[in-house]
Amino acid sequence: MNVATTRQRNAAGSADPAAATRRTGLALVVPALAVVVAVNVLPAFFGFYSSLRAIFFFGDDGFVGLRNYAQLFADPSTWQAIRRSLVFTFGSLALAVPLAMLAAIGIRKLGAWGRVLLTVLLIPWAMSPIVVALLWKWILLPSPGGLLASILAVFGIPPINLMSNPDYAMPTVIAVGVWRTFAFAAIILTAGLGQIPADLYRAASVDGLTALERFRRITMPLIAPSLLIVLSVLTISYFNEVQIIIGLTSGGPIHSTTTLGYLLFEVGFVELNQGRGNAIAIVMFLINLLLIVGYVRLLGGGRK
Amino acid sequence: MSGCWAAEGNDAVKIAARILTALAALAAAIVAIGPIAWAVSTSLKRNNEIFLVPPSLIPTTVTFDHYARLFHEGVHWNFLNSALYTFAAVSSAVVLGTLAGYAFVRFEFRAKSAMLLLFMASMAIPGYALLLPTQVLFVQIGLFNTPVALPILYAAHIVPFAVWMTRAHFASVPIELEHAAAVDGYTRFEAAWRVVLPGAKPALIAASAFGFLYAWNDYITSTTMIDSPDMRTLPVALIFFQGFHGRDWGALMAGAVIATLPPVVLFLCFRRYLIGGFSEGSVKG
Repeated sequence: MNVATTRQRNAAGSADPAAATRRTGLALVVPALAVVVAVNVLPAFFGFYSSLRAIFFFGDDGFVGLRNYAQLFADPSTWQAIRRSLVFTFGSLALAVPLAMLAAIGIRKLGAWGRVLLTVLLIPWAMSPIVVALLWKWILLPSPGGLLASILAVFGIPPINLMSNPDYAMPTVIAVGVWRTFAFAAIILTAGLGQIPADLYRAASVDGLTALERFRRITMPLIAPSLLIVLSVLTISYFNEVQIIIGLTSGGPIHSTTTLGYLLFEVGFVELNQGRGNAIAIVMFLINLLLIVGYVRLLGGGRK
Repeated sequence: MSGCWAAEGNDAVKIAARILTALAALAAAIVAIGPIAWAVSTSLKRNNEIFLVPPSLIPTTVTFDHYARLFHEGVHWNFLNSALYTFAAVSSAVVLGTLAGYAFVRFEFRAKSAMLLLFMASMAIPGYALLLPTQVLFVQIGLFNTPVALPILYAAHIVPFAVWMTRAHFASVPIELEHAAAVDGYTRFEAAWRVVLPGAKPALIAASAFGFLYAWNDYITSTTMIDSPDMRTLPVALIFFQGFHGRDWGALMAGAVIATLPPVVLFLCFRRYLIGGFSEGSVKG
């Protein structure tokens, strides 16, 4: 603070105040920028460099060109992982967005109690994903002690092993992931609903529009910008979700929950095949960039 | 007459809708809170009661044995690690982010909009895709498995949010306020420090709370960047504990409760700022 103050006093006394403010502005931004560039931009380039080399167990065996990529895309398990990533991402969206919309409408309707409801629904969002996975692993345990099994037992239904059945594992990780995150989308949608002038609804009632018509003709078009923000934030967040999967299923059973993100974890961090792992990381990074550019265009277009 | 009937019918529908909304809200609240209550209940039950069918939410005898066992394993050191990493990351990120956020509003300099775009873009890219190259890089430059590895990585993730939230606030403060302070004999930075910054408290709290939740709750970064047991964070220690004592659900849920208490209490204390920060940002675009 002292240094900055002195610098500012000197700057104020110098001949060119515009150049001085330019320098001060830069001096204030550069430290933050340096950290962000060092951690976000540098590894992207380093990852690309590493993806062109044969690296195992942190040992570099030299340049191999695009071999890691060629092997990656020749492997059917990569395509299966991409398919599962799409199922996980869009399955989560299909569950989370309608739930968030319903929650947002309910929160607006309930007034003061709505704010309490939003707070309660957000508590899982404040939790660590890995702890959430651990908690649900305990609840879904298909043996005595597991809460779901005990509840089912009351109705005479035998326990279901959701996490070791390849058909149920993916819906289970989706549901647990959505349990933690959907309320975050409800914050943005609630704020979006609050922006819609109440007069519009009053006018619509006078005109005799039914609730469904009001939703379709007033709520939907006016909530669209908020919905787009929710979709973009959640798509990117679900596409990169890995902690819930690590904690619940470790990509199994029979790879049924091995998404691209989990494949990256397995190949890069567990098998320590860092050449190929970096190729997966770069593919994921590029998909992320594409998603961001796509959504920025959509959002920018929506505003005009 | 008929109009009267229609109105009455409307009221009945409205009341029914209100009751349905309230019931749905209650159900949603139970789904959100129930699992956490169940974890607390399990962590306080004796081992023979944990596996009892039918289960009961309220333990017949409350025991703190599971918590004691975790402390015997040294979980308080992992708690301290998590707290130190989180504090270092949040405090440095909020300071750097606030300085940058202020500069973006009050100063003109070269490549300003490009820099701002870079901050916003890095907010969208999740750290996970770049974690593997970061790990290989950290091994090569000697940062892997050091106490500064996690604070650096967490701070880099929090900085863009701090810039975003403080910038939005500073933009809403009229510059005349600072000019008035200058007339009173304050230097520009004294004015910023004493006049502008106190008003930025909500933005600072929102950025800090968001940063805390991110850093404290992280598992994937800390499990890939830290190798030594004595530097492990709480979530990583919990998963290692699960590896050794996979069926000790009493202790595992006690660990889940310990890991969950700080972020949930913090969220409940600062929920207004967090919710406000996110909804304001989204409405403003």
